[in-house]
Amino acid sequence: MSVSGKSSVARLFAFGIPLVTVGAFILAPIAIMAVISFWQKTGFSMRPAFVLDAYRAFLGGVRFEVFIRSLWVATSSMVIMLLIAYPVAFLIATRVRPDLVRTVLFLFSVPFLVNYILRTFAWADILGRSGAVNSFVLWLGITEQPLDWLLYSQFSVYLGLVTAYMPFMVFPIWLSLSGIDRRLQEASWMLGEGPRHTFLRVTLPLSLPGVFAAAIFGFVGAFGEFAVSTILGGTGYQLLGNSIVSALDVINYPLAAAMSTFTVGLMAVLMLFWFRLFDLRLFLGKIMGRS
Amino acid sequence: MSSQHKPRNWPAWTFLGTVLAFLYVPLLPPAIRSFSGLEPGQGELTHYAAIFDDPVLIGSILNTLLIGSLVAVITPVLALLISQALRSWKAPRLILGLVLLPLFIPGVSMGVATALFFRVLGIDPSLLTMMVVQVLWALPFATLVILTVMANFDQTYLEAAHMLGANPLRAFLEIELPQIYQGILGAAIFSLILSFNETIRTSIVQGGRNTVQTYLWAQYQQVGLSPKLHALMTLLIAATLIMLALMALLESRTSGSRQ
Repeated sequence: MSVSGKSSVARLFAFGIPLVTVGAFILAPIAIMAVISFWQKTGFSMRPAFVLDAYRAFLGGVRFEVFIRSLWVATSSMVIMLLIAYPVAFLIATRVRPDLVRTVLFLFSVPFLVNYILRTFAWADILGRSGAVNSFVLWLGITEQPLDWLLYSQFSVYLGLVTAYMPFMVFPIWLSLSGIDRRLQEASWMLGEGPRHTFLRVTLPLSLPGVFAAAIFGFVGAFGEFAVSTILGGTGYQLLGNSIVSALDVINYPLAAAMSTFTVGLMAVLMLFWFRLFDLRLFLGKIMGRS
Repeated sequence: MSSQHKPRNWPAWTFLGTVLAFLYVPLLPPAIRSFSGLEPGQGELTHYAAIFDDPVLIGSILNTLLIGSLVAVITPVLALLISQALRSWKAPRLILGLVLLPLFIPGVSMGVATALFFRVLGIDPSLLTMMVVQVLWALPFATLVILTVMANFDQTYLEAAHMLGANPLRAFLEIELPQIYQGILGAAIFSLILSFNETIRTSIVQGGRNTVQTYLWAQYQQVGLSPKLHALMTLLIAATLIMLALMALLESRTSGSRQ
């Protein structure tokens, strides 16, 4: 770049200072949390040490059950979210008229931006014994009694998780689908592959960077969830987020730190896979306007 | 409306419509509840009026407005500087990865991390700490919004300005900024919306102060939801939808002027 020396120094400060500040505010808390997860709990506080007490408390005992349940719920709900978000993104990328694409994407992002806790309260309202669904079912005369598997059940937890996180998964999948060079699909057609094979062997693999990003987002969100499980899970139903908040409530900071560090670590491993497995230039190029 | 060239478009629209219906239905119940349970003789807006009789709630509304406006000013400026750095420096993957990181960390975990960070540094929970976690949460979104508008800006204009003797700052202020400022404004509204709708990160570093959202969550856990709180939720949802409409308007004007 042919910028003069003076202005590139100014630029270094103008861009460098905010970048370093932001980086510090994101990375330093995570680093400190990781360190504190090895500290020792003392009464109402903690002291520096290198012990595995917090991890032992996390991985042995009732909290481990919550951990295993969160892992299962996060994995299965992530699959359900992908099964909805992928067709949505695919239809937006292929079937929606180009001048309507932005509008449709916008329609999908509107509910995501309303605090999902408020939307989860609303689900409890809709699914309750005297809620809209049960009133309707009773009015139709399908059953005599209100359906009680609607609320405080696996069903309601999954519904809550899917509506909380799925809308945002549409965007990265759409981004990578719409970044695919059409000529690759046309080449596949010309070489004699049918639409199904073209999809499975060209379109789907090329859209995986976006799918994987969406999957990480949905998985990690559901894994660390606290509100959906509290509102829709019923008494005593916990996911990892609840477990972390309960450790904070009893002022066990090292334990809260250990569970959070574990979650962030899991996310970091998934992100690393994402960076390693895929060529993200297509994906980033789409965001940054290079192709 | 489907185009005539693709007659089999209706299954696609039916599917999209069904998913959208599931996403929009939960926006309605608070409004219905906010008008229910009225005694005879009480006005329609009784539960709304009750919001303003609650001094704690008024305090948290003021906190929300204060924090929200700071987040809406600070976040887009940071996002703009970071987007510029992304464009001119060689490590876009690294920088973008860093900025987008908070998107992929559950709110509870990020809240715990920042709470411990402030604790170790000896910073007491305050409106400032609440604002900081919200800026970090809004930053990835604001950066994506600004990157998108910057992608539509043709950089050869900057090169032309440079060749005509303008320094990079002047070239940015006089050439690029006028073309992307609506995107920056969009990022500001977006940040405000995210600030208004954030609960858990804020509640972990809240100390004694409340925002509307942390107040709502605390009330739900302690005493349950009342018609007054449903009225409050209705106002929050309405405010969010109005801000989104504003953003859409801004966006349509930007793309309209480009054609």
